[in-house]
Amino acid sequence: MAATVETRPPGLRAARGRAPENARRRRRGLAAWGFALPFTLLFAVFMLVPVASSLYMAFTDMRGADLKTPFAVNFVGLDNFAAALTDPKFLQAAGNTLYFVGVAMPLTLAIALLLAALLNSGLVWFRSVFRVGFYAPVVTSIVAVAVVWRFLLQPDFGLVNSLLGVIGVEGPRWLTDPTWAMPALIVMATWRNVGFSMVILLAGLQGIPRDLYEASALDGAGAVRTFRSVTVPLLRPTLLFCAVITGIGYLQFFEEPFVMTQGGPLGATNSVAYEIFNQFGFGNYGLSAAMSYILFVAIVILSFLQFRLLRPKS
Amino acid sequence: MRTPRTVGAVTASTLTLALALTACGRSDDGGGAGEAEPAGSISEGPATGTVEIWAMGTEGERLPELAEQFEADNPDVTVEVTPVPWESSTEKINTAIATGEVPDLVQVGTTLMSSFVELGGLAPTPEDVDSGAFFPGAWDTTVVDGTSYGVPWYVETRVLYYRTDLAEKAGVDTPQTWDELKEFAAGMQDAGADHGIALQTDGDGTNIMYSPFYWQAGGDYMSDDGTEFTLDNDAQVEALDYYASFMAEGLAPQRLVEDEKIQDFIDGELGSYVSGPWDRANLLATAGDDFASKFDVTPLPADETSASFIGGSNLAVLADAENPDAAWKFVQFATDPAVQVDWFEISSDLPAVQASWDDPALADDESLAVYGDVLETARSTPAVPTWGEIDHELNLIIEQVVAGNVTPQDAAAQMQDAATSIGTGLD
Repeated sequence: MAATVETRPPGLRAARGRAPENARRRRRGLAAWGFALPFTLLFAVFMLVPVASSLYMAFTDMRGADLKTPFAVNFVGLDNFAAALTDPKFLQAAGNTLYFVGVAMPLTLAIALLLAALLNSGLVWFRSVFRVGFYAPVVTSIVAVAVVWRFLLQPDFGLVNSLLGVIGVEGPRWLTDPTWAMPALIVMATWRNVGFSMVILLAGLQGIPRDLYEASALDGAGAVRTFRSVTVPLLRPTLLFCAVITGIGYLQFFEEPFVMTQGGPLGATNSVAYEIFNQFGFGNYGLSAAMSYILFVAIVILSFLQFRLLRPKS
Repeated sequence: MRTPRTVGAVTASTLTLALALTACGRSDDGGGAGEAEPAGSISEGPATGTVEIWAMGTEGERLPELAEQFEADNPDVTVEVTPVPWESSTEKINTAIATGEVPDLVQVGTTLMSSFVELGGLAPTPEDVDSGAFFPGAWDTTVVDGTSYGVPWYVETRVLYYRTDLAEKAGVDTPQTWDELKEFAAGMQDAGADHGIALQTDGDGTNIMYSPFYWQAGGDYMSDDGTEFTLDNDAQVEALDYYASFMAEGLAPQRLVEDEKIQDFIDGELGSYVSGPWDRANLLATAGDDFASKFDVTPLPADETSASFIGGSNLAVLADAENPDAAWKFVQFATDPAVQVDWFEISSDLPAVQASWDDPALADDESLAVYGDVLETARSTPAVPTWGEIDHELNLIIEQVVAGNVTPQDAAAQMQDAATSIGTGLD
């Protein structure tokens, strides 16, 4: 066999073998593209084009009036970024956003972890009732939530100040006081978002094998030691997930000030996302696109830090 | 393996396309606003074809009733009214203008005109429309950079709502001057109100509430030729000082919560506040019809001059309208003095045409007569495309003055700086 094959001109054999092979491969390739086409098209139209055009906007002086002729605008380099980073309103908004994330994110995660631990160990009978209760704010419309919270925080007859009055404390005018408006929104945002992290963390806790707890109990570890040495290390990936999702959401802090304070009083609750929204509204497309990319970089940095801090130690 | 490369190629080609197309940059003849086409004229004879109208809020709901009259007068015409919610109207009209898929006629809030003009979306008003028929402040809202792009449809203006029972108890007359307004508010408080007056302290609309005082002090937002902002002057300082003094002296809430205003007024905790014609219905709906005997309206006081803010809506024909002639005929019909009275009866919208106010339906109503008088001197904020942004800055600066963080002198300078750096957008 070998000898006869080798007497044939080498080129002929190769050609004969390749032709059907290539056709088959091309057919398969076409079929693959056919299957991938709907996704590719949707991805290109709804993801790539908006991303590319917002990036393009960030480097031009495009305004609302240029909608009809979006390409007849001038390139301005990094001017929009410079304008954003020297704008006192944007800097105040950035400071407010950091304040919000810095307080609300640890608070949300801590409360979510506490609630999850309680639901996991005690309260077994009512677990689903509590789970639904704490998750309800996550799925409730912000508009309805805003109405209720405005009543709660109403300075004269609101529940919060009435309760404070019982213990002899005169509560501040929450939403109109530059000092207290942000803490009020932090509490509100935490209340709204804690349910999501709680459900995820509860699932994480339930995934920790029981026998590890038995083993640590046999070794004589107390509740605190068990929590520190068994629960937290095994929960790291879950915590990381919650921290990243919460961090991304909180850096885009928008809904609470939008419905509760419109960024006031005296700009105390204006956030980066709110400022971007305002600038888009004013038709400053270039500037607001640049601000969006600054926010994007901040999100990337925060997520990176969280990955470094909370990655599983092996 | 293939996908990332293709994605890269698509991105690259998109960007290249973008770069190639932008290489030319802006053309030298400026934006769309500058190139006003010569205004035509409206043809004679009845309207024909289909007229598509976008109208907002209550107007959108009630307009079909008026359209039926127009259809009866013009048998060959069909009017299609599309109601659009106010909240999404700017986006919807912007999108329509950018894509060219536009209605023939659109209702435009007076403060939104210039941004649609800047987009090149509205057609200039034909010469046959008589600008003198309308309240001058209302006509001004249609004029952007010297050209009119629509016709006033209905108007609203701001007056002082006050508790007649408290005023009587305090023995104070309706205020005619700035000093009298102070005394009036103080009297209201002596008669038992927590606050004599409520003025907006922050948020959207603050500058609109403040603007009458600035005009009354003799100020104006722009130079006569409409090219420069004129915000840093004595009138601004006086008006800011006067406005903030109500809060500083405890005559007005230090921070006004808008939602509580109406209820406080009904409860007698608030003596007076500044608002527009719509609040009469609000008050009666909340407090019952009997409440009508306990309040009245009066013009805002005068200082150097008398002035209030004028708002409302204009009717504008789109530059890309398919049936502009019939659309303009509808505008002519809707701004006929008699039809304006009909529309007032359908919608309670106040007529923008001055002659309509002589009709008994309006002339015989005393509280309406107050609006009629105020409208004659009422003014509008500048019709420049960037006004939304400047207005936002002014709101923030006024908020700082009211809070006592910035002096009126510094605030006036800050206002001028902010407005100048934003510019008119008309270049």
